[in-house]
Amino acid sequence: MFSRSVLRSLVSDLRCTASAAPLPQRACLHQTALLRASQQEASSQSSSPNPDTPLSATPRAQTSQPDAHQGIKKQPVAPSFDSPLKVTKSLMSSLPHLAGQSPHYVVAELHARPYLLTEGDHIRLPFLMPNVKTGDILRFNRASALGSRDFTLKGSQHVDERLFECRVRVTGVESEPLRIKEKTKRRQRHTKTAKSKHRYTIMRVMDVRIKTPEELLQEGAVVVEDTADATKIEAKS
Amino acid sequence: MPVKGIRTVTAARNGVGAFILQCKRLDFHYCNFGGSSRGMLAFLTQTLPRFAKENPQIEIRVSPRHQKHPMIKGQYINGNEKSICVRNLEPEDILKKAMILKDASGDKLKRTKKPITSLNESVRGIWSPYHGDLRGV
Amino acid sequence: MKRLQLQRWSSTVLSPRARTGNCLHQQLYTAKLRYQSTASSIQSESAPYDAIDVLEDPKLMSQVRRVHKHKSALAYPSPPVEAATRSAKLAALHARLYLPSRLPLQTLARTLVDASADENADFNNESLATLGHDLLTYYTTEHLLCNYPRLPLTVIFAAMYAYAGPKTLAAMAKEWGVEHAAMPGGEVDPGYLQFQRVEPGTDVEANSDLQSARPYAAQKNWRKTVTSKIFYDDEFGDQIKGVVSTGSGSGSGVTAELASATFVRAVMGAIYLHAGRPAAKRFFEQHFLSRHLNISELFNFSQPARDLARLCNRENFEPPVAKIISETGRKSRHPVFVVGIFSGQDKLGEGAGASLLEARERAALAALKGWYLYSPLNVRVPSSMEEEGAAPWKPVYVDLGEVIV
Repeated sequence: MFSRSVLRSLVSDLRCTASAAPLPQRACLHQTALLRASQQEASSQSSSPNPDTPLSATPRAQTSQPDAHQGIKKQPVAPSFDSPLKVTKSLMSSLPHLAGQSPHYVVAELHARPYLLTEGDHIRLPFLMPNVKTGDILRFNRASALGSRDFTLKGSQHVDERLFECRVRVTGVESEPLRIKEKTKRRQRHTKTAKSKHRYTIMRVMDVRIKTPEELLQEGAVVVEDTADATKIEAKS
Repeated sequence: MPVKGIRTVTAARNGVGAFILQCKRLDFHYCNFGGSSRGMLAFLTQTLPRFAKENPQIEIRVSPRHQKHPMIKGQYINGNEKSICVRNLEPEDILKKAMILKDASGDKLKRTKKPITSLNESVRGIWSPYHGDLRGV
Repeated sequence: MKRLQLQRWSSTVLSPRARTGNCLHQQLYTAKLRYQSTASSIQSESAPYDAIDVLEDPKLMSQVRRVHKHKSALAYPSPPVEAATRSAKLAALHARLYLPSRLPLQTLARTLVDASADENADFNNESLATLGHDLLTYYTTEHLLCNYPRLPLTVIFAAMYAYAGPKTLAAMAKEWGVEHAAMPGGEVDPGYLQFQRVEPGTDVEANSDLQSARPYAAQKNWRKTVTSKIFYDDEFGDQIKGVVSTGSGSGSGVTAELASATFVRAVMGAIYLHAGRPAAKRFFEQHFLSRHLNISELFNFSQPARDLARLCNRENFEPPVAKIISETGRKSRHPVFVVGIFSGQDKLGEGAGASLLEARERAALAALKGWYLYSPLNVRVPSSMEEEGAAPWKPVYVDLGEVIV
């Protein structure tokens, strides 16, 4: 009897941690599918309308996901890291300078366009991002440069996404004022009016953080010898 | 006194910490008699309860407006109001219109050229012509 | 140390049934004996014999019920407790702020009732606001002192005002979508912020009597030192104002700014009481600390060069020397000088200006800000030790303090 109750409490503890743990930590773009599944799991377990961590604002905004997303074919690609992060010795030695000097900026790339972001910035994307809802948290994982006032880390193409964290929150959808273009042809009294009113996703940068060497080592990064084409930190001239 | 403090107010950055939906209230107006309200009546009975449950942050009011086309009005936190006429629309289209009002920020529609607006100072500083070594032509 | 059981504590403090046994109720009870007797929400001990003689006639009873239905809302100066669950505005506000489900709507309704609307301390937000105010001040202070240990006191006062001052709190209440009721009353939707407004034309500053422990507080033109403000004044360095004429009630009111600030503080207190300390801390971080403040803009130096010289003297640096780094157009109408301030080989700061003096002042200012805005890495605040399994406490950096001139 006693052992059974202990077991049950253990199981319930495990369940709690499993449903609550991934929320604040891993809210990446490529994991939204997984997250959504865990969200639904969590909401089905606790029948109350409010989740366990109601103040963190993310859970409830995301539990409002309807099931319409299952029909969407194009899902974000999950990262497949087959090898641990390789950091050169020179990068490891100069990373504390960069990580210690706040504030930071990141040049994040989205559809091959660069966006220079700092914490708290308001972004209005030049397009309407599909499959996101108001209140969702995305993680930008492709950056071409990270930096602070005096140091810049430039990737050879992109910076490895395990070196930094940049999260944005979708705050809504805006539209531009209606534009009317008059289309005329020669020798014709008819005028065609073309209307356009595009819609844009607006976002807010929640944090821009560069990981310290200790964190990288904790996450299983491997220190290797310097090579020619590795990412380097440049000091301001 | 060597240094004095200057009193200011911190600026809000909605979404950095907590996120507050800017749409505060949605008013649904319908007419019991008019034919343009047929879709709206179906929407009110079928879809609205679910919509309200999914968005508990929004206060929802339903009220009749006789001899008028059905309307959805959104009240926003900044005090603005946006309204959409939904005459002769099907319930699915009305839901889309309600979602437009829900996602809107309440600001006036503007054309902007730059994608990013920031309160922060430039991280790397502003370029100065008086610094750095002279470069010959 | 054993913790207080907040749940039980809050249930006794904030019970919606607490309307029995308070002064207001007893007063009204004696006045309107018959109507109160059939009140469903009010449990009173002396009701039975009233209830019996009403119950003898069912017709009369139904009439009494009906009259009571309309009058119950008007019986008290604030909305009745049971109206909270029927208010759409209140539920929307609860969901908009992502308040914990353990915080009931009734308490949220109570936070919206200002003391000027309902004088009964069991039904207004005064007690919650007091608790919330203390929490807010504590969290803000520890954040500022640990993150910027060298800030001068006057700047700390200004930063406190920026983070938790009444203006900021009023702006936050507005950004939460809280609307004000035109007049407080029992029939008002409990989702509105209810307070008695100030009569137009009254001087807000004048009618508040100062309640300071400072000796000779009435002497307006006497010098007040900054250090004495820590002891005698409030967290913003202002004189503590007394309670504004509690006696008359209907005559006096509060400004909308003050009422909104009290509401925000009361929400903080209510979260602490119902959901516990971690939730209150998280609420503070998400709503208050996430706001944007540039602390370097809060400084107002009068003589930066003199202060810098004193600072170097105190810290045993070499005395500061101003040197021209570069210049252009000295003889023209718009010259620019870039001046750096050096202490030995180290450059402390630099600034550009249209005259040598201006550039030197700016350089000294930059140097002083660089010193005062020092922020250590990986700071922990004292209240982080209250979390479960916190790492052992390492003392934070404590500075000597600002330069005394």
